[in-house]
Amino acid sequence: MEQGRTQTGVWVEAEDAPPARRPRGAVLKRHWNAVWRLFFIQSSRNERTMDGLGLFAILSPFLSKWARSREDGAALARRYLGYFNAGLYLSSAVAGVIVNMEERRARGEPVTPERIDRTAAALSSVLAARANYFFDALLIPLGLTIASIFAIRSSYVGLVIFLAVYNYYHFQSRIGGYYRGAELGEGVGDAYVPRLFREERFVAGCAAFASGVFAALLFLKARSAGGAGFIGGGAALLAGSAVLRRRFSVVRSVVLVLFATALCLVIYGSVRLR
Amino acid sequence: MFSLIGLSLLGGALAVDNRASVRLMISQPICAGLLAGLVLGNPVDGFVAGALLQMLFLGMVPVRGIAAPDLALGGVTAGALYARLPGSLNAGAGEKGLILFMSLACALVVGVAGRALHRLWERRSYAFTESALALAERGRFGPASALHFSTVLAHFAAGFVVTAAAYVAGAFVISHLVPAVAGGWCEPLASLPVLVPFIGAGALLLLNLTRVRLFLFVAGFCAVFLVAFFRG
Repeated sequence: MEQGRTQTGVWVEAEDAPPARRPRGAVLKRHWNAVWRLFFIQSSRNERTMDGLGLFAILSPFLSKWARSREDGAALARRYLGYFNAGLYLSSAVAGVIVNMEERRARGEPVTPERIDRTAAALSSVLAARANYFFDALLIPLGLTIASIFAIRSSYVGLVIFLAVYNYYHFQSRIGGYYRGAELGEGVGDAYVPRLFREERFVAGCAAFASGVFAALLFLKARSAGGAGFIGGGAALLAGSAVLRRRFSVVRSVVLVLFATALCLVIYGSVRLR
Repeated sequence: MFSLIGLSLLGGALAVDNRASVRLMISQPICAGLLAGLVLGNPVDGFVAGALLQMLFLGMVPVRGIAAPDLALGGVTAGALYARLPGSLNAGAGEKGLILFMSLACALVVGVAGRALHRLWERRSYAFTESALALAERGRFGPASALHFSTVLAHFAAGFVVTAAAYVAGAFVISHLVPAVAGGWCEPLASLPVLVPFIGAGALLLLNLTRVRLFLFVAGFCAVFLVAFFRG
């Protein structure tokens, strides 16, 4: 957010302007101890507090600086060891926002703990939804489809493309998101969130197109492997898999279709032997 | 023995990538199978098994809390068994197909077991938060944070043990079962690598059933046939 502009985010209307941007090198150096911790946030995930302990571990290098007294430190620990669930990819941005707001509170600015908690909770749900959709429903299926297209041609190139593209967005979200949150505080609602994943529709289109390419290549491979029998079998498998996934869980449908395929092939082999 | 230790270390590292949320995606089966094959000196077959396991689960979107299997450990298991066993059993084409099928079945069992183990972990691991809270309230932020990082070791240990157990048990079962039962009847199983990817294609079709995306799916499908037609 530009310096001097008033924050009017959808979550919090702040009267005080966010701090001016610092040189990137200085920010990097100051936050490095938190940044590597971002990559383990879900390690201690549990059903009661989700990633509360992970968030605490990210913030722990700063806690002793923020605490004004021993009691204040204990109160901070109780707050950040509570419930926290912001998904994986943009929980870093929420952690950055918390760092920004707590630092301002420690400097004596009028930022209350309630305001920090409210901002973190609101950002968590919004960012988790956006990031989960982009990564889990679009980018990863696209990358894995590309990897599979090359794999059916016995090439590792697709795997390299998948890892490169995915990790570009992955690091941008986790490290970049943290720095944006730490720079802008609750201003990320205006300056960062609207610009997130603007290529979403393009990626969705590419994923659909790549899926079609993958299916067509399978039919071409089936034709060269054994002709009409393979093409018919493949089409039946494709349709069967799509139908079963609507009715059963992923694992059940995969097990059913895989075992049915093997059984059909074995019956075909036995009949041919006789 | 060295290969077993190497595989177990790989399983542990991939479990950290998958469960401790490092998430570089090297724990996806297509990559895990290749790495397992590299450890055993046969990256090509490891990659094939890993890629086929990946294609079985193409289109799986792990949102809304669906029970996704532990594909990282499954990928290592499938890749390792298929990279190791056909060579050591001098398998023909049909036997190789049977080994591939059994490797994928082992991987599915490991994936489901890994998921169950992780759910158990998620139910019990609140104890770490409780202990961390007790430490942090006394102002000991460092040890409280170290408790969180100790869980990374727990994920590594789980991956290490599950991979070792799955590889030893799977290799034992397959290497005893295949020579005993294999015959002419299993020859059509050699065509599994051609047919199995269609399962993933079906799931991808389901994922693209909205109007615009279905149009693009069909466009991609037709584009390949057009190119194939003009290339003769």
